[in-house]
This record gives sequence, structure tokens and C-alpha cells, in this order.
Amino acid sequence: MLQHSTCLNMQSANMLLRRIVRSSVLPFATQHGMKKDLFPLSRTLSSSLCLKQDKSHEPSEKLDLDEWKKVMKSGLQEEVIEVASEPKELSSLAAARETLEMWRLAGRAVPENISEEQLKTFMECPSKSAKKKYLKYLHLKELHKKNDKRKMEEKRERRLEAQDQDSKPDEIKKSPFLHFWSRTMDKAYNWRAAQSMIFGQPLVFDMSYEKEMSVREVSNTVRQIVMSESSNRKSVDPFHIHFCNFKDDSLYHREFIKNYREAWDKLLITVTDQCYTEIFPKDKLIYLTADSPKVMKTFDHDKIYIVGSMVDRSIKTGVSLARAKRLGLETAALPLEKYLLWNTGAKNLTLDQMMHILLTLKDTADWKKALEFVPKRKCCGFVNKPVKELKKTLDLINTLKLGKGREKAEKQFAKNYPQRYKLKQK
Amino acid sequence: MALFSQTSQQGFLALLWKCHMFWPASRCRQLYVASFSIPIREKINYFSSMTSSSTALPVDPKETDVLPSKKRSEIDCKEGKGWDEETKEMPEGKLHFSSSVGAAKKWSMSRVVPRHRLSNLQPPEKPLQAEEWNKLREEFHSPEIFEEVMLNSMIRCNSPIDVAKSLLSHVAKRNGDIAYNMLVKYLTLCVQQGQVSEIQDVYDIMKVRFKMLESGAYSLLIRGLSNSNQWRMALTVLEEVKKMMIPSRTCYESCIKAASRHQELKLAFELYSEMLAKDVVPTLDVLQSFFDFSRGMKDAELQKELFGILLYLRENQIYPHRTFMRSIKLWFESLPGGNWRGRLTKIKDSGQCPVCSHQLEDSNLSEEEYSHLSERIIRDVIHGTDTFRKTSPEELEAFQTFVENRLPFDIVIDGLNVSHIKPRRMQCENLFDAVNCLAKENARLLVLGRKHMLTNSSNWKREIMKEMQNKAEFFFAENISEDDAFLLYATLRSGKHCRFVTRDFLRDHKACLSDSLTRHLFRKWQRGHQIVFFPSAAGKSIHFLPAFRYDCVVQTTGDTWHIPYKDVFEEKYSYQVPRKWLCVHQK
Repeated sequence: MLQHSTCLNMQSANMLLRRIVRSSVLPFATQHGMKKDLFPLSRTLSSSLCLKQDKSHEPSEKLDLDEWKKVMKSGLQEEVIEVASEPKELSSLAAARETLEMWRLAGRAVPENISEEQLKTFMECPSKSAKKKYLKYLHLKELHKKNDKRKMEEKRERRLEAQDQDSKPDEIKKSPFLHFWSRTMDKAYNWRAAQSMIFGQPLVFDMSYEKEMSVREVSNTVRQIVMSESSNRKSVDPFHIHFCNFKDDSLYHREFIKNYREAWDKLLITVTDQCYTEIFPKDKLIYLTADSPKVMKTFDHDKIYIVGSMVDRSIKTGVSLARAKRLGLETAALPLEKYLLWNTGAKNLTLDQMMHILLTLKDTADWKKALEFVPKRKCCGFVNKPVKELKKTLDLINTLKLGKGREKAEKQFAKNYPQRYKLKQK
Repeated sequence: MALFSQTSQQGFLALLWKCHMFWPASRCRQLYVASFSIPIREKINYFSSMTSSSTALPVDPKETDVLPSKKRSEIDCKEGKGWDEETKEMPEGKLHFSSSVGAAKKWSMSRVVPRHRLSNLQPPEKPLQAEEWNKLREEFHSPEIFEEVMLNSMIRCNSPIDVAKSLLSHVAKRNGDIAYNMLVKYLTLCVQQGQVSEIQDVYDIMKVRFKMLESGAYSLLIRGLSNSNQWRMALTVLEEVKKMMIPSRTCYESCIKAASRHQELKLAFELYSEMLAKDVVPTLDVLQSFFDFSRGMKDAELQKELFGILLYLRENQIYPHRTFMRSIKLWFESLPGGNWRGRLTKIKDSGQCPVCSHQLEDSNLSEEEYSHLSERIIRDVIHGTDTFRKTSPEELEAFQTFVENRLPFDIVIDGLNVSHIKPRRMQCENLFDAVNCLAKENARLLVLGRKHMLTNSSNWKREIMKEMQNKAEFFFAENISEDDAFLLYATLRSGKHCRFVTRDFLRDHKACLSDSLTRHLFRKWQRGHQIVFFPSAAGKSIHFLPAFRYDCVVQTTGDTWHIPYKDVFEEKYSYQVPRKWLCVHQK
């Protein structure tokens, strides 16, 4: 209690005492954050005070249901003064920050810490739902970060423990092989990539979709390309990657710098602002797009495949097909329908999946192996027969997947189908 | 259904997938919102149908004219004044209410704890002592969220308020403070049970403890207070919300309903116009409450306002549902000295109302509207962001010259769509039947197809194609082009009398149009010009349903009103129109 009254001025301490006397509970100013260490002390104090006080109180076994209100109100006296002294008008940024804080307290998916930049982005969101989504995204990002940090720390602790246990200096084992460090591996990969720059089959990434994408989609695209570049470098026989229609200082460029940092200038790929039609002969180019009416039968080693570097979260059909049509290029789609029992999801694959598939085709020409890289949730399995023959099985699967009998399905269908068609059908 | 017996299993399923009718609703909706950018207004209308109280109405298949009376729920103000017998009859939004509480509950369940683990926590029957709470808490698998989970289950089971109080007291004693989310949950429980004094207390505590509140708590407060005789307080809370953000439509709804319930209609209309000015779309409940509470009032100003609401329905192509329609009817009939009389009816195909034999508005657009719409179709639907996405510039040019040289057509047919009508027959035969059917009246036909129809195949026999081309004009687009957009353009260019034939609902094309005004125009035009068809069960013939001759919107001539209404509160697709009408006329 002593240290308590040192933090409060005399007056409020007196008030506090008086209030203790009045109510049967000892209040605290929460913001002093000393509830915990004061707790045992205060408990005895308040009970001893209670014993001597007026008898109008209910007996202790009778519950006082409005106790919490008293507690809440009493703990607030000092805060009220604080709030009153603050300027009433908040700037819009501060108000937004305040709102976010309240949402967080209410238990919504809101990040704990938010930077000025993010706050501005948040305020520029056009609608309530957009704001909600953005906050959720930040919140999840924060959670992931925290978890990663936690795991890192745990790992470090484990390592330290392990070191403590075997602190004896180990004898150096002799081995005919040198230990392969990752640097050495990198060197080997780079040799291969350099070789592909001279002799490899070109693979073009068409970088002309910046306008069609949101900022988030562009950053996703770049991340996917980074992944595909690394898997290309590690393959046995890499492609010679071209980034065509690449504008300097574009959003793509900035994102790449963010991802690669100083390695960007050392990448063993060709980056150009020219169009692929200017670099390669038109008849050799094949534009890969899911909307293409033509289906790829085999991988052709002297054609140049073009992949549109675009992530379309809201599936925009026909954007890349339109590009190919405009330039009069041949198009092709992967034979997903032919070889896979398609289950769910869109047929546009991510760029790194595309890369894996093309690399595998190049090395093995085996569709089954190549299409392993299609996400498992999207297909039920690989088939050697044409899918048309398996229609019956598929229908059965679908009916089972609906989890109801056909009759029920039909009823629902009939209910949902517009009234117009049911007229005059006797 | 005839349509069914004809389709094979595979076709049926394909159709199902196409129609998105078969996914679990929630997912479907997500996908919808995510991938087809539903125009805002429509989405909101759709949601209004989800939240409105009338969902609580039983479906009435026999169309008996009984107003379903519901027991007044506990939410209604217990001490409210100004309730007359008629308002008691109003189905009060219990369901709506619980749905919004559900929303509050949803976001308050912040920590992700699987539902099945929560459901086994039963709140106690009566207030507990601190020790008992402690005991319960220790038994719970994760004590740190015990209170939250407990309060949630109290909300779910609608426990007595004293139980929640005893829990809060216990927490306050232990921590010396109660977290904001706990307060909000407690508030939810109070609102659920209409404990006005408690709501006020919580509000006072919150105001002192926190600089500002957030939207969830505000809307709870507004809802709770507006259902009591302290409803004016709800208005002050609403003012507070306005300082920070645009209040949600439910907030406005509660305030407006409260004001009109206490006969403060002027105030209610002020709020209503403010809401419209802020682009907040009113729920149908709000509109209905206006009609309910101004029944029998003789006030020219008020009448004008209510006519304004009817015109709002007209402009936004909103169809009231059955109960709303009934409110409108009763209001009309209660107008002193107005001699209005309302009757339910169905309009004849000719567009004549059988009750007052008044001819409904024509479904045709004006010249100006025609040219505006065809421009927009070209700009937004055909060109869009990239002409090559749906066609190519050369093809478009070729098509335009083709159409200009052969104008006008009477009927434009979507060849491929028609050719799929009977899956068991050759596609060209289906098309042949349709063309024969439609060509009887000496009409000039245009059939739109794709080039693959010209190559001789099992489905497209060259001789039949040849024969057809004597009866109708044909235009074949590239195989990877969109033919629908051409169909729309050709029909619009041919003028008022021209109709088009397809089973497609044209939703995706409507979605391409950039502003809601044009979209409404498009729908109106579609209603008046689309001929749908279905196969008849017997024989080869195809039934064609003629397009509407009259326009399906709320309409008036001053001494008559014709109001189309929906039968039950169902999700309504924008391409469907109700067949039932309320005819109100002056004797």
C-alpha cells in the first residue's frame, strides 16, 4: 500500500481509502499495472476493512451482481481527467489508428502494430469489405512473423543445449570427399545456367501485364517468377530465360529488386524491353494460355514457349489469349483435361508450377511425370484413357461429392430454375 | 420436369456446374463476389433479402390472404408507447435481429477455437460465486479464453442476465478491469433481452473507459436503445458514429423504425434522405415500416414522401415481397377520403390489367435509350479492355457491315444456344426446327453461329445447313469469338420490333456494363426483347415464350398504381420478373 500511495497524490489516495470503505472491493487504477503485486496485500486489507463497516451491506454469501460496474467506474477516475485534458479533435490518421485499436480489443482480425504507410493504404481502401480484407491480411502476416520468430528462438535454444552437451572437441573425420558447401553447388548451377544462356532453349516470360494487375498481384507474380528461376537454375538442362516487354523502373522491376537485392544484376537471364516477336521468328513462338482452343500434344524442342507473367486472382479470361491473337501467334494449352480427372479449381496454374512442368517435359517427355506438379487438390488422378470414357465414373464421383441423392438434386434444380420454363409444361 | 427427362445425366450435371446452383451456398457466394464483380447495388439488394425480417414468414403455397401474425418477440420494447393493434400484427424482426446478433457473435469469436469444442460448454442456470467460477475455469481446457467462450455460449443459449453479471463481477474482482470484448459480448446479451437500463450502464462505462468505440458496439447500442423508450438516445449514438464513419444501413434502420414507431415521421424521413444521400441502400424493412406507421394519416407532405418511396422502387427495379406489398395496399386503402382500392391480380400477356383494364407501360425504350444502350454494348461488352478478348477488330468490322447491309431483322437467333435444346438429336436438326418455327410469320431472321458449324461433321450436316441458309441470314464468327455480344448488337441495331432468341440469361454481359443505370436499361430491354424457348415433351416442336410486351416495374398514372411483387421472400435473380401484381386504383 505504501508504494501505491507514492504513485498517487495524496488526494486520490484519500479518495481511494474512502471508496474502499464504501464498497466491499478494493479498486485499482489499471494503468498503473500494479494489480498483480498488490493483490495479496489488498485482499487482506479490504477484508479487514469490511468487517468494521456499516451493516447495511448484504451478507457476503449473497452475490452483488453490479459489483463489476463499481469496479469499472472506480478505476476510471484518474483516466477521465487524462482524457479530458487531451485535445478533442484527432487527425484522421490518429482516429483511424484509434479505431483499429478498438477493433483489436473487440477481437477482430486486426494487426497489433501498423506502420504509417499501411495505415494510409488502409484508409485508401474503397469499401468496408476491402478494409476488412486488408486488415485480415496484415493480421495474418503478423501472426506468421511471430510464429517464425518463436520457432527460430526455439531452434537456437535447442542448438545451444546440444552444444552444451557435447562440448568435447570431436576428432576430425577423414574422408576422401570434400564437404560440398552450398557455395560450390551454386557455382555448379551457375555454370549450367551460363551454358544455357549460350546453348539452351529459350523460354519467354511476357512482362506486359502490369496494367491488368493490382499491386498485390504483381508482387505475387514476381515471387512466383523468382521461384521458377531458381528451379530452372537447379535443373539438369536449364532453359534460357527471357523477360520480354520488361520496362525499367516498372512495378515488376521494383519488386524484383526487392526480392533479389544485389543479385538482380548477376542473374543469368536475358532481360529486355523488346517484344518477343522482335527477337524470335514468329513461326517458332507458342503462347501458352489456359484459354487456348489448341491443346499441346508434345513438347517441341525447337519452339519457343511464352508464359504470361500474370497472377489473376479474379480469373480474367482471355487476357493472354487476346495478346496472342493480336500478334497472330500460335497458342497452346496444357492437356489437363486429357490426362487428369479434373476435380476443382481453375485451370490456370502458377508460374512455378508451369516451370516445373515444362522442365520435366523437356527432360523426360512424360506427361504423367510432368503433371505431378499440378496441385493435388485440383485433380483426382492421372488417366491414360481419354477422360470422355470415364465420364460415367466422374458423374458418379460428382453425385457422391454432392452428398445427396439425385432426386434431391433434381428438386433443388427445379426450384432454382427460373419460373418461365416451367410454364405450359404439362 | 420435361427438361429433365430429356437430359442425360451428364448433361444435367454439366448444366448444374454451369449454373453454380450446386455448390454449398456459402462458397458459391464467395466465388460470386470474388470472381464476377457483382454490381454493388444488386449485391446489396440481394443481401437485403437475406436480412429482412420477412424471411421469417412461412411460405404460403396456397396463396391464402391471411397476414401471418407472429407473437411479439421479447425484443420489442417492453415499455414502448404508441403501439397500436395493427403494429402488433407486424412481423417484428426477430429473425433479422438474431441474424445481426449472429454477425456480432461471428466477429467476436476472434480466437479460432473449433466449434465442437465450444458447444459442450453449458452456461450455468443461476449466478455463481467467485469460487465456483474459478472451479469451472480450471476445468476448462484453455483457461485463458474461458470467459470469452462462456459469454459466447451464454449469448447462444440466451442465459439470464444475472449469470453474465456474476461472471463479470468475478472477472472484475480478479483483474480489476474488464476487457472491451467482454463488455461488447455482455452488451450483446443485454440487447438480445432488451435490458435497457443495463445497456445504458454499459454505454456509460464504455464512454468513460474508452475514447471511442468501434462499429460493432455502436450498432449494438443503437439497436438496443432504439427498441426502448430511450430511443432518442439511439439518435445521439448515431450522431457519434457519423463523426467517424458512415453508419451501416442496419443502424439507420433501427433509428428510422424507432422514430416512425413513435410517430416522428418527419424525423424518420430526414434520416431516410440522409441515408440515401450517403449512398447507403435502405433495407426493404425500412421502406415497409414507413408504410406501416403512416397508415391512415392525412398529411399531403407525408403522402408525397411515400409516393417517392414507390418511385424509388421503380427506379431501382426493386420488387416488394408479399408482406411489404400488403403494407402498401393497406396504406393506400387507409388514406382518408382517397377512395383507393387495392386488388391482387395477374396481368394478361397483352399487358392489360384485368381489374382496372388499364394498359401497362410499354417495354420499349426511347430512341435515346436505344442509342445509348447500343453504344454501351459496343464499348463495354464487345470492346471492353481489349477488343481481342471477345473478337478481333477485323471481325467486328465485318460483322458491322454485314448487319448494316441487311437491316432490319425481326428475330436474331443464337444458333449454338438453340442447337443444344435437345441433346439426343443432331444439333443442326434442333436449329433447323427452331428456324422453321420462327420463319413461319415471314420474319427476317438472322442466325449467329461459329465457323465450326460449316465444317461437315456428325452434328452439322452440310445439306441441312445449306437449306437453312435459304430461310435465314447467317453470320459465322471465329471459333474463339464471343457470339453473344454480336447477338445483342444486331438486335439493338434493328430497332424496337426486333427480338432475340436465346436461353442464356446474359448475366455476364450485363456485368460488363459500367454503370447501374445502363444495367437497369439493359435488363428492361432484355425483358421486352428476349424470347426464351423450351423443348416440348412430345414430338419435335419447340415452345417459344414471347417476350414481355409490358414493362415489369412499379408504375403509376396518378389515379392508378400497379406494383409487381414477389411471392415469397426468395433470392431473386435479376433476370426473373414476378408475375403477380397489386393493382391500386381510385374508385
